[in-house]
Amino acid sequence: MDGTLLFQLVLSGLIVGALYGVVAMCFVLIYKASQVVNFAQGEFMLIGAWACWWLLVKFQLPFVAAFLVTLAFMMLFGLILQFVVLKPLIGEPIISVIMVTIGLSIFFQALMKWLFGVSVQPFPPIFAAPDMNVLGLQIRTVYAMSTLISIGIMAAFAWFFKFSRMGLAMRATAFNQQVAQSLGISVRKVFALAWGISAMVSALAGVVVGVVNGVSPALSFFGIKVFPAVILGGLDSIIGAVVGGLVIGVLENVAHYADSQWLHWGNLHEIAPFYVLILILMVRPYGLFGTRDIERV
Amino acid sequence: MQSNRKNAVAVLLSAGALLSAAPVATLAQDIPVGHLADFSGPTADVGRPYGQGVADAIAYINRHGGVGGKKLAAETTDYSYKAPQAIAAYKSWSGRVVAIQGWGTADTEALIGFVTNDKLPYYSASYAATLTDPVGGSKADRPAPYNFFYGPSYSDYARGMVQWAADDWTKKGGKGKPKYIHMGANHPYPNSPKAAAEEYAKELGFEVLTPIQYALAPGDFTPQCLTLKQSGANYAYLGNTSGSNVAVLKACQTVGVQVQFLGNVWGMDENAMKAAGSAASNVVYPVRTSATWTDAKAPRMAMMREISKMSDASGTEYRASHYLAGVCSTLYMKESMEWAMANGGVTGENIRKGMYVRQNWVPKGAEGVCVPSTWTAQDHRSVLKFDLYQTDVKAGDGSVGDLIAKGAIQMKRIATIELPRKKEWLGW
Amino acid sequence: MAGTVALRPCGDFRTTYGGDQTVFPTRLSLAFCFLGIAALCFAPFVFSKYVLSLLIQIGYLGIAALGLNILVGFTGQISIGHAVFFGFGAFASAYFSNKLNVPVFFAIPLAGVATTAVGLLFGVPAARLKGLYLAIATLAAQFILEDFFARASWFTGGVAGTAAKSFSIFGIEMSGDQRYFYVVLAYVVILYLAATNLMRTRDGRALVALRDHYLSAEMMGINLTKYRTMSFGVSAFYAGIGGALYGHYLGFVSVEGFGIFFSIQFLAMVIIGGLGSVMGTLMGTVFMVLLPEAMGGLAKLLSGSYIDRLLSLDEGVVFLREMAIGAVIVLFLIFEPDGLAHRWRQIRAYWKLYPFSH
Repeated sequence: MDGTLLFQLVLSGLIVGALYGVVAMCFVLIYKASQVVNFAQGEFMLIGAWACWWLLVKFQLPFVAAFLVTLAFMMLFGLILQFVVLKPLIGEPIISVIMVTIGLSIFFQALMKWLFGVSVQPFPPIFAAPDMNVLGLQIRTVYAMSTLISIGIMAAFAWFFKFSRMGLAMRATAFNQQVAQSLGISVRKVFALAWGISAMVSALAGVVVGVVNGVSPALSFFGIKVFPAVILGGLDSIIGAVVGGLVIGVLENVAHYADSQWLHWGNLHEIAPFYVLILILMVRPYGLFGTRDIERV
Repeated sequence: MQSNRKNAVAVLLSAGALLSAAPVATLAQDIPVGHLADFSGPTADVGRPYGQGVADAIAYINRHGGVGGKKLAAETTDYSYKAPQAIAAYKSWSGRVVAIQGWGTADTEALIGFVTNDKLPYYSASYAATLTDPVGGSKADRPAPYNFFYGPSYSDYARGMVQWAADDWTKKGGKGKPKYIHMGANHPYPNSPKAAAEEYAKELGFEVLTPIQYALAPGDFTPQCLTLKQSGANYAYLGNTSGSNVAVLKACQTVGVQVQFLGNVWGMDENAMKAAGSAASNVVYPVRTSATWTDAKAPRMAMMREISKMSDASGTEYRASHYLAGVCSTLYMKESMEWAMANGGVTGENIRKGMYVRQNWVPKGAEGVCVPSTWTAQDHRSVLKFDLYQTDVKAGDGSVGDLIAKGAIQMKRIATIELPRKKEWLGW
Repeated sequence: MAGTVALRPCGDFRTTYGGDQTVFPTRLSLAFCFLGIAALCFAPFVFSKYVLSLLIQIGYLGIAALGLNILVGFTGQISIGHAVFFGFGAFASAYFSNKLNVPVFFAIPLAGVATTAVGLLFGVPAARLKGLYLAIATLAAQFILEDFFARASWFTGGVAGTAAKSFSIFGIEMSGDQRYFYVVLAYVVILYLAATNLMRTRDGRALVALRDHYLSAEMMGINLTKYRTMSFGVSAFYAGIGGALYGHYLGFVSVEGFGIFFSIQFLAMVIIGGLGSVMGTLMGTVFMVLLPEAMGGLAKLLSGSYIDRLLSLDEGVVFLREMAIGAVIVLFLIFEPDGLAHRWRQIRAYWKLYPFSH
């Protein structure tokens, strides 16, 4: 039982988990607002990361400028995607909607591979000091920045949904579209905004992961890891998404620890979140914070 | 769209699709050769330069008279490192081609039985030791009389590096037993030398630690690096290709792991050094040619420069070490075919016989680049001598050629390893 | 076929239950079916090896896709993990014929039965989940089973994969595309007829009722858990047979062939073909098998030209193929959500009713 290693793994897991939480929040945002399960969330991250990389490398922009341009581009991208692809599918059965987002994820993954290749491309160095020391663990500065940004975004989301008019409108639309429409809320604007914000924030997470590990097609696997996080937290709860992301991040590393010390299976790190996913679906499908869907006949 | 318009679109598209799905035929006087490459899968970062080398060498051969006047008709298939797709490509080739330039370990090992039955010489870019026993009887599962590859096997590379590590430990004045650890994905290619290297390490007095797994696709390997740091290993063998090695080197540099990394032949090259920056410094790795592209201006590289011009007319592109290996592999195949043509015709069996004809064989024009190789009917281990290089990398911007010219990327030869040709080491 | 859109034109009366439930609505369509199968029997003598291999691929993929259509189109459940059932069938058949020395002729049906067992295992918990949760559960099952294949070397040969023996009946080796074609054809005919028949039995109607309105079905006395589980079992059987045929055709089974992309391709086959239509499944499979070939052919046509250099087609063909699959899924769902089967019916109706529109 190595205490320091376990502690460092937990800490590292929390940092990665914060990123999972951010992406999970974007996923839940789309689900809450437009009832669409977005299998292409990982690809949003990937597109954002590649766009930022391209701006930095091709045009030699300073990082902040490239970052802001990327965010603006992703907001536009989310709006256009929603308009072109998702609007025709309002009212279709859920299998169709799932398949459309799956189709989009395949399309974008292949498009990125075609445009930018399959090898890992590192980001140009951004911070003067690449590493810093936190509680005895050396972490990349950009991870610390991402944790701060993640917390900031979570706070912003919480404020947005509780106190702003648009946020309330989104919650109303998620609850019952028809009633919201009859109250004068523009459902079209709500959908568009939800997708735009989700794409933008996913791109932010994508840029962070890209700065740490380099951009490569493997980045979109985040979009699959999001599922255990949102199921654990509850599909329609933003807080649940955050908690779920943190738990999954820590769980991966703890599983790796158990694996390397006792089990020696080799890849528990990758597969443990899916075992947990199945377990949660059996025991408590609505997650920790989701709303129960009670059927009365 | 209206229903009638949709009907018309459907009919037109189906007709067009059916028409365009027809295959293309080759000319009767060409020599058909199969070529498997990975340009888009998890090993594409090394598959691209190697595949380009094979393609350029074939183009060069065709430009300069082909094989006895006949051109090589290569059918390149990008199988994305998925074994089933390689098998499907092989099925379409068997009965038509006379030789195959292959790629990955998983599919090459899967095809051993097929190529032996079909008598098709298979030149792989997989250097798995299971491919080196043509007669059977060794630890390899089955004999592989039709499998050839240029260079030492993965197991021999690993044994050589373990031997160097043992010498290095004594030279550094290390106390007690040094610790050796194998890191790699759970996949035939990284697994290939694991058992052989661990046993040889034990023989030389190492303490062998539990292997650490990390995926072939790059990702966040901080947990693996933390575990590596805690294990106290002194020498860590990286079994994957350069893409994921870059990620693990960077993660381990951040975490502050103090270990001597030993790369495998596909795991470290100039592109990886550029991508990883200073994290790739001080890595020891083997090189399977007598020259790298840093010697591009030397006279012995003249033919290689001509071959490179087949796809890079300006002659300015820097070619990774894998490019030269691909060229060497193709040149050996070509000279075997020439012998076969003079001795009964270009068939699979004759090409195989042609591989055994020469000792310490270097293809014409590649002297000083391709290492002298000897294949015999009892032993397909063609090379047992190779150089070990150590990297010295500082971070920097620019293309690989620029960084090397500036001196930001340096590769220093630190040792030449010659392994004994032990019978009990054949096949594993 | 029987089940979804059994609308008949007015004037076409059936006077017996048997007449109402025929598989082929007219004598002509039955004749066409026989002619088609007879024509296919001559295919190995007429077509090249390449076309035969495509037809064989359509065969075993069509069988597995039909299983998925029974699950998704007829019962209304979702499964994003079909590829691992396919893979389980392939591994099981290889295991039975290699380790247990069962002749390949029997190993294939046995593999189907073994896969059914696994399917039922997944069906039991799946019966409790609906819609999106079921989709996510099957996604998790996909990754978990893939991991199992990679690590259970006693069963699958681990990451190195396992060789599968070739098919032989009474000592006649059926290896080689020309002979194996008949094996696949036989299985396709038998299993497609079985599926069509299933849909007109009591159990088939129960499955359709489950899809249309499960609350009412439950009130009518249909046991939801039993039929949902049965649906998973039948679907897994088809996938297992398809996988076993695939394994013995290729001669080698490896875990790499059964990833999430393959599952999505099955779903695409079913959706493009038309949910709830047996004929549509075959059409969807043909489409998905020919699409990469058409893209490759297009790339070869354009090779050397300006477009080739612009798009870097020689390296990018693989990506263009994947992009085409994704784009095709999206476009079909936007413009033709009922699939090729519906489009085919519309085309037939156009010809039948010309110059009238309905």
